[in-house]
Amino acid sequence: MFGFTGLLLLLVLILYTVTKSLAGIHAAQNLTFIWGLPGGSFFLASFVFGYFSSNASGSSFLTLPAAHFEKWLCGVLIAGILYPVIFLIFYRIIDSSFVTLYHHSLDPASPFYKQQYESVYLFDFNSILAWKVYPMFFFLTGSMLVGALYFNKTAFIKTAILLCVLLLFVFGLNWLMAATIFGHINDAAPFNHVTLPVGKEEGSLELPSGTVNFFNYSIWYFFPAILWLLSYTRLREKEF
Amino acid sequence: MIEIRDLSFGYKRKKLLFRNLNLALETGSIYGLLGKNGAGKSTLLKNFIGLLFPNSGTISVNGYTPKKRWPSFLETIYFIPEEVYVPALTIEGYVNLFAPFYPLFSEAQFHSYLEQLDVKDKGKLNALSFGQQKKFIIAFALACNTKVLLLDEPTNGLDIPSKMKFRKLIASVFAGDKIIFISTHQIRDLDNLIDRVVIVDNGELLLNASLQEIGGRLSFKTVSELPATGKILYAEDSLKGKAIVVENTTNEDSKINLEHLFNAITENPAEAKAIFNI
Repeated sequence: MFGFTGLLLLLVLILYTVTKSLAGIHAAQNLTFIWGLPGGSFFLASFVFGYFSSNASGSSFLTLPAAHFEKWLCGVLIAGILYPVIFLIFYRIIDSSFVTLYHHSLDPASPFYKQQYESVYLFDFNSILAWKVYPMFFFLTGSMLVGALYFNKTAFIKTAILLCVLLLFVFGLNWLMAATIFGHINDAAPFNHVTLPVGKEEGSLELPSGTVNFFNYSIWYFFPAILWLLSYTRLREKEF
Repeated sequence: MIEIRDLSFGYKRKKLLFRNLNLALETGSIYGLLGKNGAGKSTLLKNFIGLLFPNSGTISVNGYTPKKRWPSFLETIYFIPEEVYVPALTIEGYVNLFAPFYPLFSEAQFHSYLEQLDVKDKGKLNALSFGQQKKFIIAFALACNTKVLLLDEPTNGLDIPSKMKFRKLIASVFAGDKIIFISTHQIRDLDNLIDRVVIVDNGELLLNASLQEIGGRLSFKTVSELPATGKILYAEDSLKGKAIVVENTTNEDSKINLEHLFNAITENPAEAKAIFNI
């Protein structure tokens, strides 16, 4: 478990370094945060509950004299709490290091020093992007916890494929419905808006903010919560 | 005590493996569960421990319902599957991690059983051979001192000396307050070990009897010519003539041959049930 977490953190470091050299520090910060938190937790959840995906190890852990809740809690604590905490600390350390290195590389005598210095700053864990990543983390981790308990072999691949199919279906169906209703459309985001061409301009039809908020909170919090609870129910009913 | 009432189970609802199975296993015996491949031996064991849930009917193991998998129940039962799992831990690490779950676990017994089964401490458990891993799990299971011990094909993967050591060990640790239930298709491995035989076939219980009872009701003998009268349940050519199994109507003593018994029972299910009042 520690080895696997260490490997994930190493990948995070590599991703940050490679992206920084190719696309700059801001892209590195965003990409590493997006992939490192939800992606890493997705991997880890498949690893933790992967013990229940083979006959031999699954039988061994299911018959261990501990309550279902305790077994579930172990997986949830590792993938849902410990990993995010470790990731955020590690992320802050590497981000601080790279930002400090960048600041030290600047020439204080340069006329653009202040501008260059202020253009690079630490990733804000309270930014709009971060608050879009947190629900992704809850959703993907919850999906993997359930997937690892539903599928008995190659649960990671099966769950990932299922999620892709689900996303394609939702976006495809939404696009199809919007195109059927409005004819030509430029863009259609499920449960949010449709962008239509209006002459040479384009206009956006948005759902009322109350409705958008309802869908957003449902997708970001309610649905992931259902998935996390479903994994507990599935563990209780798991058979081999 | 393990009690099964009207158990029906199937991996598919329309294709049941067991239909209204009734079985009572008393404490203080070593049971041998015999059955053909696919007869549902492992399935039955998994129902006992709660790894599979009955479609209908009830199972009670020392008063517990296995399906609920309560910790207090799981503390009293240990299941060794045909394919064992050992994590990447040392023997000491495994004991530190798993032994606290079993209140009656004895470390002294554990090390003694490891020695008797000739399991050497060679680093990580997952680096051991399959046979060594299996012997390690057997030693650990016995040291847990659970009231019920379920073994599914325990001798698969063991070499000949290990099979002998396994039999000796099981016989030496058995106590009157336990049930040891061994499922196998390698009947000879159970010779001189079990004291009761359970045979299931085609979803039915065909036999649940002690060796004494079997000896009293069936006769195992070798004859030069097949007898003209009486129903022969099983006959097989042997070097000394013909080995036969017939109903014991004259109270004669004979040595039970488990292989012949199994064939006699499974080839004549109706007669067997009548002889043993099932």
